[in-house]
Amino acid sequence: MSKHQYAMVMDLNKCLGCQTCTIACKKLWTDRDGTQHMYWNNVETRPGMGYPRQWDAIGGGWKDGQLQPSRLPTLDDYGAPWEYDYEQRLYEGKGKPVMPSPDPVSGPNWDEDVGAFNGDDNFYFYLPRICNHCTNPACLAACPRQAIYKREEDGIVVLDQERCQGYRYCIAACPYKKIYFNEITGKSEKCIFCYPRLEKGEVNACAAQCPGRLRFVGLLDDPESAVHKLVLVYKVALPLFPERGTQPNVFYVPPFNPPKRTNYGKSILEDPRLPLDYLLYLFGLEVKDVIVRLEAELTKAQSGKQSELLQLLIGRDAETRYQIRPQPVRIQARIG
Amino acid sequence: MKTKPALATTFLMAVALTSPACSFLRAQKSSAVAPSVPSGLVLRVEARMLAPEALRDPDAIAWQSLPAQRVALNRTPPLYDTDPPVTREIPFVDVRLVRAGGKLLVHLAWRDATEDTAQLAHAPASPPETRNLKEQSTATERFFDAAAVMLPARAPENGIFPSLQMGDASDPVVIYYWNAARGPLLVRAEGRGTTQRTGESFPAASSYRQGAWHVVLELPDVSAGMPLAFAIWNGSQLDRDGRKYFSVWLRVE
Repeated sequence: MSKHQYAMVMDLNKCLGCQTCTIACKKLWTDRDGTQHMYWNNVETRPGMGYPRQWDAIGGGWKDGQLQPSRLPTLDDYGAPWEYDYEQRLYEGKGKPVMPSPDPVSGPNWDEDVGAFNGDDNFYFYLPRICNHCTNPACLAACPRQAIYKREEDGIVVLDQERCQGYRYCIAACPYKKIYFNEITGKSEKCIFCYPRLEKGEVNACAAQCPGRLRFVGLLDDPESAVHKLVLVYKVALPLFPERGTQPNVFYVPPFNPPKRTNYGKSILEDPRLPLDYLLYLFGLEVKDVIVRLEAELTKAQSGKQSELLQLLIGRDAETRYQIRPQPVRIQARIG
Repeated sequence: MKTKPALATTFLMAVALTSPACSFLRAQKSSAVAPSVPSGLVLRVEARMLAPEALRDPDAIAWQSLPAQRVALNRTPPLYDTDPPVTREIPFVDVRLVRAGGKLLVHLAWRDATEDTAQLAHAPASPPETRNLKEQSTATERFFDAAAVMLPARAPENGIFPSLQMGDASDPVVIYYWNAARGPLLVRAEGRGTTQRTGESFPAASSYRQGAWHVVLELPDVSAGMPLAFAIWNGSQLDRDGRKYFSVWLRVE
């Protein structure tokens, strides 16, 4: 058990799908040989195939204390990277438009903004994903090399490149498919929660660059942190697929009450634009209670009263959203 | 992860060397299969007045005149709860050993219907941040065929061999590992889960023809009675790690 646990909360009501977080992460960590298909941070359209394709349907995680089997995603599931023939078209004057090669057949967020229909209304939202730095990581349990460990000081799950032999049991075990294989080094890699930045007092790159200000970062056991308040006090943030048993430390404020043409003022529970079943699928039964709580706060604010929760969710400045402890301090609260 | 018990019983099950009757190499005109290993678990070693380089090619004529010794392979049972049931696709490996020029040349041949290998890109020496184009991974879910010879890191005393499961702390092992895509690699271990790549390599060559791998590994010579064990990984069966075919300890003549 880690002494402390960093956590992230993402407010899905604020994500605009701009992929700035994705690029911030990509430029910082996966701009190397063998890592083109890797997006330690990705943003996918929901409902949708996700990245890697169908990751939520291919297995992994825990059931009754046992790791569950899974196949490994293929390069096409991640979206085989392509290049452009700039050389021929721009410099050798072949006269045709610049074309990608090989012909793209898939990609991360390939089904961007497609969504689904609920009656006559189309609906979709964006789901940003990083490694969940789980409290009970299936990847860690699956590795026969003990190459994966959870940092005692802050609960970040990291993968030792010296010990990894590229067996990929971790990739199969992770129900979120957030570990990636680098075929050139022959080893697996994953999100490191930007621990070198945190150790210098800087927030994660994905959070720092987010124009939507939807990410909150801090120690879950720090009563002063926004993540502590959102997850444990206001109880409006939930992990993805909690039934897979890994106890994620990334939490989501679920999308609630998006406008529908005919339902202004009606609750998502009585006339949903987002079918409740889909939110139940992603976040489990508790999502209903969370929506009720969020709607109550919204009603309160709309009637002119002050909502501390909504003010916190607006997250106007970095000081509100991030409570980074370069050297974790003594904290009284307990996790959970 | 929880591992399944009773590996030891599996080791005992298939100690016997297989009958030469089901030879696949016999069908190839140039190589006859000898009636297995002569006494118990001893592997015959031929001596040749040749430079080791002359024997590095697994298809060299010199190998074809040598009888093969058929070594039974066992299949590890499912190691982890999530492992699918295993099928035994590679029941044996044909071994030829030659001492030449102070080296022990090990020729391994086994039938494998699928050639699981690839031309992997190599990262250029220049740092990636200095290049616009980076080398790409071409697949993420495949595993490659491989073979290995394991021997004790030091000659065993009192006839006690290291644990067959990658040696143990008091009796470490050295493993000459060859991978169809990644080439030869020297590995050390002192028990399960302790394998360490040394960063060193050794001469090895391979050819895949007529549904079979033929691989030559060039080891330093070993003294008589030294134990050897063999392992084969089948990429198409997602073999890696302890998920493989293995022989028991055998001794060189």
